Amino acid sequence: MKATFEAINQMQADGVIGKYAIGGAVGATLYLEPAATLDVDIFVMLPATPGSLLLSLAPLYDYLKARGGTVKDEYIVVGGWPIQFLPPSNELEREAVAESVSTTVEGVTTWVTSAEHLVAIALSTGRAKDHIRILQFVEQDAVDRGKLQSILERHGLTPKWKQFKSKYLEGTHE
Amino acid sequence: MSKQKMRKRLAALSFSEKVKILEKLRDRSLALTASGLRRKPVRKEKEGS
Repeated sequence: MKATFEAINQMQADGVIGKYAIGGAVGATLYLEPAATLDVDIFVMLPATPGSLLLSLAPLYDYLKARGGTVKDEYIVVGGWPIQFLPPSNELEREAVAESVSTTVEGVTTWVTSAEHLVAIALSTGRAKDHIRILQFVEQDAVDRGKLQSILERHGLTPKWKQFKSKYLEGTHE
Repeated sequence: MSKQKMRKRLAALSFSEKVKILEKLRDRSLALTASGLRRKPVRKEKEGS
């Protein structure tokens, strides 16, 4: 995965992408025990194209394909890992990229979504596996409750959080 | 060691160490799928993240 992160950093240095943040299971691994995953999700800010309101992943794909990347379904395989690049689709995801956390993998600097934003995005997405991940964060006390509360309020997720708590956390020590 | 203690111990590893474990887990999943012991995941919705 080191080669994957190096390629992404080079793409950023070359101006193809702006700031980025690793999300999903790989992002969660910064805070939790590792969990099996087959791909890497990366929220990525794309530079605006002059004269166009649309954001396109085509320059990113062209850049990586020219450097050995191969397209497979909705992924592009770089350094042996399928990557899904996700331009932020709402303010929560934009904030997650802006407030991502710097870390290193074998000496390579990279950016990971904060624990609190991972939980908020998982809550917003709301699939069964997202709920499982939220529970892992809660059980392992891997989130700053104050920061999470503030994010949930800012992005209108408080009712969903109450529902989640009522369904999964009431009756426990939470 | 209890399951809970093991999870905490794994969570406390550095990101580099955890990424190496992710790679091993992925290799194992791919090997199981290739051997026919596990079905290839169907991607009806976004998978694995």
